[in-house]
Amino acid sequence: MSDIAPKELKIVGFLCNWCSYGGADTAGVSRFKQPPDLRIIRVPCSGRIDPLFVVKALLNGADGVLVSGCHPRDCHYSDGNFYARRRLEMLKRLLPFLGIDDKRFHYTWISASEGQRWQQTVTAFVKRIHELGPLNLKEEKQS
Amino acid sequence: MRVGVFICHCGNNIAGTIDVARVAEETRKIPGVVYATTYMYTCSEPGQEEIKEAIKREGLDRVVVAACSPRMHEMTFRRTVEKAGLNRYFFEMANIREHISWVGEDKEFNTRKAIDVVRMAVAKVMQNRPLFSSSFKINKRVLVMGGGVAGMQAALDCADGGLEVVIVEKSQSIGGMMARLDKTFPTIDCSICILGPKMVDVAQHEKIKLYAYSEIDEIKGYVGNYQVKIRKKATYVDWSKCTGCGACMEKCPSKNAYDYFNFGVAPTKAINIPFPQAIPKKAKIDPNYCRQFTKGKCGVCAKICPTKAIDYEMKDEIITEEVGAIIVATGYSLIDMDMLPEYGGGRYPDVISGIQYERLLNASGPTAGHIERPSDHEEPKTIVFVSCAGSRDKSIGIPYCSNFCCMYIAKQAILTKDHISDSQSYVFYMDIRSPGKGYDEFTRRAQEEYGVHYIRGRVSRIYPKGKKLVVRGADTLLGTQVEIEADLVVLATAVISNKDAAYMAEKLHISYDTFGFYVESHPKLRPVETNTSGVFLAGACQGPKDIPASVGQGSAAASKILALFSGETLESDPAVARVNINACVGCLKCVKTCPFGAIKEKELRDGRVVADVIETVCAGCGVCTSTCPCGAIQLQHFTDNQILAEVNALCLI
Amino acid sequence: MTVEKLKETVLDTLKDVELVMGYQMGFDALHATPLFIRKKEDAERLIWNPLCVHNLTTYLPSLKKSRVGVVVKGCDSRTIIQFLQEGLITRENVTIIGIPCQGIISVRKVLKEIEYEPVEEVSFNSDSMTIKTLKGSKTLKIEDVWPDKCITCKYPTPLIYDYLIGEPVSFDRGVEVSQVIKELEGKSLNERLAYWQKEFDRCIRCYACRNACPLCVCQDSCIAETREPHWISQRLTLNEKFMFHMIHALHLAGRCVECGECARVCPMDIPVNILKKKINLDMKELFGYVPGVNAEDKPPMYTFNVDEVNIKEHGI
Repeated sequence: MSDIAPKELKIVGFLCNWCSYGGADTAGVSRFKQPPDLRIIRVPCSGRIDPLFVVKALLNGADGVLVSGCHPRDCHYSDGNFYARRRLEMLKRLLPFLGIDDKRFHYTWISASEGQRWQQTVTAFVKRIHELGPLNLKEEKQS
Repeated sequence: MRVGVFICHCGNNIAGTIDVARVAEETRKIPGVVYATTYMYTCSEPGQEEIKEAIKREGLDRVVVAACSPRMHEMTFRRTVEKAGLNRYFFEMANIREHISWVGEDKEFNTRKAIDVVRMAVAKVMQNRPLFSSSFKINKRVLVMGGGVAGMQAALDCADGGLEVVIVEKSQSIGGMMARLDKTFPTIDCSICILGPKMVDVAQHEKIKLYAYSEIDEIKGYVGNYQVKIRKKATYVDWSKCTGCGACMEKCPSKNAYDYFNFGVAPTKAINIPFPQAIPKKAKIDPNYCRQFTKGKCGVCAKICPTKAIDYEMKDEIITEEVGAIIVATGYSLIDMDMLPEYGGGRYPDVISGIQYERLLNASGPTAGHIERPSDHEEPKTIVFVSCAGSRDKSIGIPYCSNFCCMYIAKQAILTKDHISDSQSYVFYMDIRSPGKGYDEFTRRAQEEYGVHYIRGRVSRIYPKGKKLVVRGADTLLGTQVEIEADLVVLATAVISNKDAAYMAEKLHISYDTFGFYVESHPKLRPVETNTSGVFLAGACQGPKDIPASVGQGSAAASKILALFSGETLESDPAVARVNINACVGCLKCVKTCPFGAIKEKELRDGRVVADVIETVCAGCGVCTSTCPCGAIQLQHFTDNQILAEVNALCLI
Repeated sequence: MTVEKLKETVLDTLKDVELVMGYQMGFDALHATPLFIRKKEDAERLIWNPLCVHNLTTYLPSLKKSRVGVVVKGCDSRTIIQFLQEGLITRENVTIIGIPCQGIISVRKVLKEIEYEPVEEVSFNSDSMTIKTLKGSKTLKIEDVWPDKCITCKYPTPLIYDYLIGEPVSFDRGVEVSQVIKELEGKSLNERLAYWQKEFDRCIRCYACRNACPLCVCQDSCIAETREPHWISQRLTLNEKFMFHMIHALHLAGRCVECGECARVCPMDIPVNILKKKINLDMKELFGYVPGVNAEDKPPMYTFNVDEVNIKEHGI
């Protein structure tokens, strides 16, 4: 809340229900400690993720966005993550052209059994965002 | 809108590292929230009652529960709010346990994160719309993949419950690994004597259709309505004519075919019936060894066959079966001996695997039950068993325990003494794992009554010395090096998933772990379900397990299907894509990207073309929604507005 | 000569179709405007010169069920191919009259050269134009006032047509990447962000770019203006403008044929086409895909390969 000096940065995670959200659950069940900055939004499939959600989050004040889906070929919906891969790669290449460091956006594949991989991914990504510092795209003037 | 938020302590699981009272306090400040409270165990009966009462007392029309993962209890609470008169989709869960209290150490950070996550759930629930299931007819037939003991049990239970069953077995006969075993622990029952009658039951059951030597080519559809393409592989013998007399096998001049059933302990004929109790008891030609195929001439079997069943021109046949549910019981494999070079695996003929030894012990095996060394056919006197040959070995990527080796080694050591009374067996072990009923007593019997010498320690090297093999290892209890000159070494090779496990999982849309074993829906409470509705697991395809556990799972999977099929219809998931025909511009990009072909074009009365979702085919992935440029097709319960509400709730504060 | 041949072909085409789209003179000598030919007499007004900048194919999807003819330049023809890839038009219903193009002018650049004086007369020579204003006349080399798209043009001759007016031409200045993109890529992240924020801040959300875009299929259903879904509000903040341009760019990903209409029509002179050109460079690199070149291609965002050879997993 605003009355507490925020030490954590704002990081949004979009996770597919079947693999990566489960992987994050597995990490929880295994008590794999993680930094506190990430807030997770559950979607059925990484193919549901419109790259515009990522843009929206960044413009609205997120400092980083992490997207994770099922490993290619393992999509619960067979092809969803294949579409996601193309869309997210396109976005990843566009962001730096706009002046937004593409290090602030990471997409990866984590299965429901990969709790440890989830822990490692979150830890590394949060660390990287802290190294980059706040993005501050939200501060804007009303014109 | 009147949102009620219920924050669960989950005993100390959540309240231990999250200040739940503060979460409730902050939650009350969120516009739309009229009620927020904490509860010790929200999922308990009184916890659910509290929700129902609050819905009535406070006039709530939306409910958020901040507790464990929605993968755990979303269904529970959906039912709760439904009982209180709300649509079940007027509910959201904030995962503050798996994603916060269990992974964050700092209470202050955790509490702030929990507040954010609750705020996101509130924002989403305020965007939720009531959704209603429709029902659809189901095809009450069952596909069982794999005819091992787990699959057979599942098939028999389903069939006895009145369901039609289709079994697809990739090898020539059902029976699986159990059919290869000599005896079973801890009772020393003859394996085939207890399995054989079950195999016959499967063959004779009027509700069971068996496709042996067949594979699954394609699976389409969804729970209640699957279309399965089965490839009946060419056997080059017309099974409708073959009587299983075995005359062809007797006369076949090609005597060096690899014997898959016996794990290559001895060669077999190019045309063969794998074992006397095979079901179906039909011959098959192995074209890699058959002279008609390799040399282009022979035809002995065709001449000798009394029913003229041989057909060298036979082709694979594709058959389509329609089923409503699938039981995956595809079993397991064992690592190649080549993966164990330090034990001379694959190099020394007298170092064999446990399953090969099983065939040597078996009266219907290649040696008719006489234990003999593969190299010189002499009877071994000193036999060394090496447990964990590959298992629990991170260096070769198998960190897990293969579950049943400790027990079968004890059994094989006991049987060895029965076969050769003046023999001495040694067992190198890491730990003796014998937690089943009567199991520990059994391993003790091996040591105490049969004089099997157990040595706690790993074998470092095995090398030949004359006709013998020197097994060198550590005895960690005595703290010394030991060397045993053995006549025969038996390696308890590690259990691994089938080579095509991942490939099959992709066809089934089910998950598998790093090792290729299929992942159950919940490790404790949903052990035979998968995350794909209508697909169930049984036996070692889910992880190494012994016969009783496999049989238990087979029955469990069958009971799940009998329950699933207890009505004539199933309820569809209403969280499917829906088209706003006023916004749809008919560009039909969604039709191109839908992985299920669930969208077609529809012409309206005014001539406009729009997209139209076939609700029963839509699986709810949402690829269409992120394809549609004008937001006209929205995956219900995960609409753009719902996800944007979450993004904004988090970011715009 | 070309105009006469064009008129002849248009009249011929008009026998089979309800409407042929071409160009006529606009409100002054520097502007052409679309001409919709339904009757024989209309064809008299046809013109053909470097002022014919519009991409007339924009109208085709809304005329999907009618039989129409359209005059296209090389760049415009790519739109037709893209429409065919996306199933937005029926090939049999469209008669394509292609004209090999030597490059058109950017009215904006010309106006700048003549210091925004009212134009009295414009005449064209082979590779130059002379503009007469009250203050005198000025001769400009046409390639000096080319719009951005002509500089990177690889397809001056239409790639698809039923009639071709004139001989095929080819020119390729060997410019693969727009100057703006090159300059931006030489800048730091902060400078780039500042650049775009400055550009987008001028946006008045008139949606001219969207309306002129032949591939903005949504038109009246554009999510920039809906509440279902509610992607952006109507506030005129920089972020809402930024978001609008991101929507426009991402919806055009792997579809933009670089006709440049969005940038041409922008009253605030925002280089809206640049984002899409940048994405196209990636589409080519990732998927070997160039929009609007082959009607059999599949737009890369609506398909996939199980193994994507050019997409590597990213580490952290």
